[in-house]
Amino acid sequence: MKWKERGIYLLSLLISIVLGLGVGALLMLATGHDPIEGYTAMVNGALGSKWDADTILKNSELGNTLYRSTLLIITGLATAVASDAGLFNVGGQGQMCLGALVGAYLGAELTTILPFTAGWPVWLLIVVCFLAATLAGAIYALIPALMKVRLNISEVVSTILLNSVALTFCTYMSNGPLKAQGKGTQTAAILKDLEFTRFFKPSNLSQAVFIAAGMALVVWYLMSRTTFGYEMRMAGRNSRFAKFSGLKASTLAVTGMVISGALCGALGMLEVFGWKHRYAVDLSTDFYWDGMLVAMIMRYKPLGIILMSFFFGILKSGAIRMQSSTGISPELIQVIQAIIIFFMAAEQGMILRFRTWRARRHPQHEEVISA
Amino acid sequence: MSNQPIQPIVEFSHISMQFPGVLANDDVSLSIMPGEVFALVGENGAGKSTLMNILFGINTPSAGTITVKGKTYKSLTSAQAIGLGIGMVHQHFMLVPSFSVAQNIVLGDEPQRGILYDLREAKRITEKLVAEYGLEVPPDEPVKNLSVGLQQRVEILKTLHRGAEILILDEPTAVLTPQETDELFDVIRGIVRDRGMTVIIITHKLGEVMAISNRVGVLRHGRLAGVYETADVDERKLASLMVGKDVLLGLLERNQREQPIPEEPAISVRNLTVRDNRGLEAVRGMSFDVHRGEIVGIAGVEGNGQSELVEAVTGMRAIRDGEVYVFGKKINRLSPGKIRKLGLSHVPEDRLATGVAAQADITENLVIGKHRRWPFSVLRVHMRGGPARRYARKLSGEFDIRSAGVGTEVGSLSGGNMQKVVVAREFSFDTQALVIAQPTRGVDIGATDFFHQRIMDKRNQGCAILLVSADLDELYRLSDRMLTVYEGRITGEFDPATAPREEVGRCMMGADQAQDSKTTVNEASDG
Repeated sequence: MKWKERGIYLLSLLISIVLGLGVGALLMLATGHDPIEGYTAMVNGALGSKWDADTILKNSELGNTLYRSTLLIITGLATAVASDAGLFNVGGQGQMCLGALVGAYLGAELTTILPFTAGWPVWLLIVVCFLAATLAGAIYALIPALMKVRLNISEVVSTILLNSVALTFCTYMSNGPLKAQGKGTQTAAILKDLEFTRFFKPSNLSQAVFIAAGMALVVWYLMSRTTFGYEMRMAGRNSRFAKFSGLKASTLAVTGMVISGALCGALGMLEVFGWKHRYAVDLSTDFYWDGMLVAMIMRYKPLGIILMSFFFGILKSGAIRMQSSTGISPELIQVIQAIIIFFMAAEQGMILRFRTWRARRHPQHEEVISA
Repeated sequence: MSNQPIQPIVEFSHISMQFPGVLANDDVSLSIMPGEVFALVGENGAGKSTLMNILFGINTPSAGTITVKGKTYKSLTSAQAIGLGIGMVHQHFMLVPSFSVAQNIVLGDEPQRGILYDLREAKRITEKLVAEYGLEVPPDEPVKNLSVGLQQRVEILKTLHRGAEILILDEPTAVLTPQETDELFDVIRGIVRDRGMTVIIITHKLGEVMAISNRVGVLRHGRLAGVYETADVDERKLASLMVGKDVLLGLLERNQREQPIPEEPAISVRNLTVRDNRGLEAVRGMSFDVHRGEIVGIAGVEGNGQSELVEAVTGMRAIRDGEVYVFGKKINRLSPGKIRKLGLSHVPEDRLATGVAAQADITENLVIGKHRRWPFSVLRVHMRGGPARRYARKLSGEFDIRSAGVGTEVGSLSGGNMQKVVVAREFSFDTQALVIAQPTRGVDIGATDFFHQRIMDKRNQGCAILLVSADLDELYRLSDRMLTVYEGRITGEFDPATAPREEVGRCMMGADQAQDSKTTVNEASDG
């Protein structure tokens, strides 16, 4: 039963993707482009052409797709954890910025401000930076969560507002107290030893992807296979019921939000250590919205988010090649992406309609449970 | 008009309604005559509400046609239905709690002065309706401050304001006290007699069918099991048609107590004072004990502190003054979880708001509270899905929870099945004290008997049970002792075996118990 349900779900998802791509193809035809050429360019742009063992590490297209997917996976899971606990974390950007700033600062200065760490092995220093950034994100998510459960202030409003606060604060810090000598609005570079090894150059993919994968695995397990994840879900669905059943509903909600913030903070640090190597104002955190979108389309199911992030990663990084090699305008590409997203978001409604339609035509196929 | 044969005002013809996995109506053909009170009875999930939702334009039937006032439709929209003079009062009221009565009544059809909302006119409309139909309501009061019975009146007035000629009432008495029910029936009789309205009433209280209806239709498993003149049938006949076998609530087997009541009561309430959501004192100095092996019933008109009492005893509401002890331990400041650990389970009165997580599935709703134990989890951390689902299937069998599978969302179950989920979970904790509120509200007669049997079994096993119910029959049937409450105070204590109903009713209305009808000395009050 469970597997049958899942099969139907995957199939309908596949159909909605195909339908979305189909409408996209029609749009390309209508604007005078060859859809086959367009989609080929997209796939090539996303997956690259170097797939044999010698050259695969130079496949920067593939690297970029993986990199983008990783960002979406972590932000998508962050949204999902909070949502499971019944809160909507719209403040991922701010949490990420703070994580990045803390990571960048400690990566550059840790051995200076705490001289006894100078002799520590590299991995330990990285762990310290990672934990500090995680903590920064967590604390920054704790504030709106507490305001929600204590004062009933909408976390959607407070997290959005806190985004601006964090972004402004980080800009100030990197232009003021932490500004690197003689540079633009950015902090000093982290120590060379701490930089993650990059591969698939010149893509942004680095060793950070392994840490992100580990984080995704832990979060997936936590959400779907532990008593804690279950309790959090129950509190998120009906907090009064959770309290009635003996759970600490408010604590669970706060914890969900804090984990969400921690993931974002950690991701900010990984961005710095992976390729940026410093905090700078141009460090993009906009992809958080895409991650949220993925999570919503996949109804906050961890495994689904991970899979769908790869698909989105392909769409996103393929779009660049699509534009450069076929001349399809980036606006059109965005429209096509939006249509595909529409179809996937409508998946649930479509399958319900299909079932009702089938039930009407062949009533005997449905079991009558009241019998 | 009088010399030609009367045409049915509503005619269902071969209506079938297929939901995914459930055939809710199966080839139902039924005529409703103008000016009659037609009762539609059937168990939970028999398809009563579905059929009426088709008439009101909420559901589109899979097959069949509806004829209203001589015109035949394949399906109706809500706007069409309202236009045809059909009004429906749902089981769950569709009112805006913070709006005043008048604002709710004119909602969607607001009187205007220029571009402004004419509140005075809204009030005038309401007062005119009140005068016309004799349904007293306070026009300026926010709906949230009204009792359930009054809220229902607002719903009825709303449909009358929209010009309803055919009024559908979906289980209108499920939330009413006996007095309110009588008043409602007076209203129904009035609008039928004076206005020539047609009333369709969905219910599964057979006594009410006999009291109010001219004709009665019985649905069973989506099929029409029969239509009768009410005068030609009795409750027993209807009950057996509803469930397909002979059941009428009979006597339950009640063990005599083998040993004297242990010294220490399981639940002990001392001078308890609790405030309601508005900050007013809802419970004012109640004291009583519940011992193991007895059912103590709390009888009262709803809104006299019963809900707050239950919430205080189970930790869902702060205790203002006084003490509550569970197995000797003071629970004044304990959380619901801690109180559960002392050995108290709780069936709440509002199952949708408190008793279940409607968006979670049956398994998730059944396993909560036990999920940290083997075999549902390893080391209290790792959840095991398989044993949880097997356990849910086992409990579903034991408690006759009807669904498409244990992965079904609880919110999609009928009221009775949802209550079975709650009872299955709460009764399967290994606890020796139970607080049960309104266990059979909105539950059909077959399931009611089942729940009563289970409650009595628990008592016979030595469980202490505090039972709060608005259904006096239920309390008479189950209780060992009955306490009447009025405005947050206990006004009497009765032995159901001997207590006259009139006396109990008087105490529920605030009269003090006559000295000679006292069954036991209330020792609790001087604790």
